Amino acid sequence: MAELKVDFCGVTLKNPVVAASGTFGFGKEFNEIFDIGVLGGVSTKGLTLEPRLGNPTPRIAEGRSVILNAVGLQNPGVDVFLEEDLGFLKSKKIAVIANVAGRTLDDYAGICARLDGKADLIELNISCPNVKCGGMAFGIRPESVKEVTKAAKSALKKTPLMVKLSPNVESIAVNALAAQEGGADALSLINTLTGMVIDIEKRRPLLANNTGGVSGAGIKPIAVRMVWEVCSAVDIPVMGMGGIVTAEDALEFIIAGAAAVQVGTANFTDTLAMPKIVAGMNEWLDAHGIADVNELRGTLRLNG
Amino acid sequence: MKELTVKILENAPLAAGVYRMRFALPEKAEGLACGKFVNISVGDGAHLLRRPIAICEYTEDTVTICYQIKGEGTRLMSAKKAGDLLSCALPLGNGFSLEGAERVALIGGGVGVFPMYSVLKEYEGKGKKFFSFIGFRNKGAVCLADGFASLSESAEIVTDDGSFGRKANAVEAFFAGAEKAAPERILACGPLPMLRALKTGLAERGMDVPCYVSLEERMGCGIGACLVCVCKKSGKEENVRVCKDGPVFEIGEVDF
Ligand SMILES: Cc1cc2nc3c(=O)[nH]c(=O)nc-3n(C[C@H](O)[C@H](O)[C@H](O)COP(=O)(O)OP(=O)(O)OC[C@H]3O[C@@H](n4cnc5c(N)ncnc54)[C@H](O)[C@@H]3O)c2cc1C
Ligand SMILES: Cc1cc2nc3c(=O)[nH]c(=O)nc-3n(C[C@H](O)[C@H](O)[C@H](O)COP(=O)(O)O)c2cc1C
Ligand code: FES
Repeated sequence: MAELKVDFCGVTLKNPVVAASGTFGFGKEFNEIFDIGVLGGVSTKGLTLEPRLGNPTPRIAEGRSVILNAVGLQNPGVDVFLEEDLGFLKSKKIAVIANVAGRTLDDYAGICARLDGKADLIELNISCPNVKCGGMAFGIRPESVKEVTKAAKSALKKTPLMVKLSPNVESIAVNALAAQEGGADALSLINTLTGMVIDIEKRRPLLANNTGGVSGAGIKPIAVRMVWEVCSAVDIPVMGMGGIVTAEDALEFIIAGAAAVQVGTANFTDTLAMPKIVAGMNEWLDAHGIADVNELRGTLRLNG
Repeated sequence: MKELTVKILENAPLAAGVYRMRFALPEKAEGLACGKFVNISVGDGAHLLRRPIAICEYTEDTVTICYQIKGEGTRLMSAKKAGDLLSCALPLGNGFSLEGAERVALIGGGVGVFPMYSVLKEYEGKGKKFFSFIGFRNKGAVCLADGFASLSESAEIVTDDGSFGRKANAVEAFFAGAEKAAPERILACGPLPMLRALKTGLAERGMDVPCYVSLEERMGCGIGACLVCVCKKSGKEENVRVCKDGPVFEIGEVDF
């Protein structure tokens, strides 16, 4: 049994495998299939101050080895989460990561204040490409990345802040540095890439929202490259994600420099994907005589 | 609900473009019931979303589904052979309830006929009277006709082009036969225009019979976690999940 425990900016993860925001709800449904206590943590569906209904349907489409979603931050609002869902996640003794979104700097500060000292970690979604007047605007330019990070950080006295970076930017490393300067304790990446699928019979986009966020196995090489770029640029820990399906996929991210990983779309293809990744990681480390997963972090050796 | 690797026992054409697949469960699955569904991995690494398919028949350790070849996923499913393994989650959704109803009208159109058949199989020999109104595109698509006939008090099969039975759709057939059937409950599944016609038809006739419809929506997780498959509650600023709160809803409960 290899050591899988990771210290992530002061938060203990019993293993580096965390459920990605928006694919796992607040954990209750997956817990009907397996004990989610075996995970390192859960990042919640994106929370906002007020309840939101999200986008019209269809909200999902498929491309080869990828999917596109445009759910649009449907959520019951942070207060309902605190009352009805946080307790359950806490009872599972896993790291509870509250993924949050807003339309204004005040929204971000406000929601962080509500969650401070209650969630184990805040994940700031500044990159959700789906909500027309929110998300995207903050995540694109480094100046606004820094600004929104600062606003969120100023509202947090106890809970550390992780900023989730968008890949739909000029330089993700520059934005990573901006978040670090703004006071982020950690970073997560990548959020979805913006894409479109067209129904050629109807000559209309398949998604009601026209465009959606691309995720799943096919985006992994892009995500690994971005995690490597960001890890090379910043000093704070990184949670890597994008297309992870197997333990070996997850280990690529760790070798690229990530301290932990998140798994999203793979949960749709196999509801047991994450426990299998945890078990597979342990097996791989044992088979390679590596006693502690932390030894593997950032061990990438570049060619030439 | 469970994540299972199931073994295909048979997978063969049932009608034009429609396949019937029976598979064995590695262990007993609790809660199998008519109206619920299975969410099946196509299993090729390119199609990451599972395909939701209604449970058509089941025993303690086998499930039968019938599916129409629509796109790449169902085409790949149709190429599977006996002995192949499939990974899937089941049983999902809420299913039909027939409590307190002795006379039941079943209205099925297109692939919506399969959930209706699941009701007949589940209640076979249990003394309820079923009146089935089943619509297909054309003669080539007609399937399970003998089953519908033998398990129902009366069954009318109609087609869009009149190549088998009357030229009508399932809802038109139902309204023509509703008086005679005098149902205490109506269950329906089919294309949205059909379900809408049912809703307006019931309202126009002032028919106050409890009516439940099974809805389709594109899905992500299939188990209620991702909020991909929603529809809006009627008269409320609130969404329900087709995969978890449905797929069966009281006809007035949701907008469609
Ligand atoms: C609860 C439920 C029960 C169903 N039961 C049956 C059944 O018993 N028999 C049957 O033939 N069909 C059934 N369907 C429809 C079936 O899921 C689709 O025909 C199938 O997913 C199409 O997959 P594809 O890869 O061939 O098509 P594609 O169009 O290539 O699929 C692309 C994506 O869209 C999704 N999709 C396409 N059409 C539908 C649809 N109508 N509903 C939901 N998702 C869709 C697919 O799952 C896939 O994720 C059911 C749908 C639902 C929601
Ligand atoms: C259906 C769906 C909903 C998502 N919702 C959110 C969200 O609310 N907030 C967020 O930060 N990311 C959201 N994401 C992005 C994922 O958390 C993740 O960053 C992305 O899917 C890449 O990982 P993957 O390839 O493992 O899925 C969502 C992804 C999917 C597929
Ligand atoms: S498909 Fe995920 S909630 Fe229904």
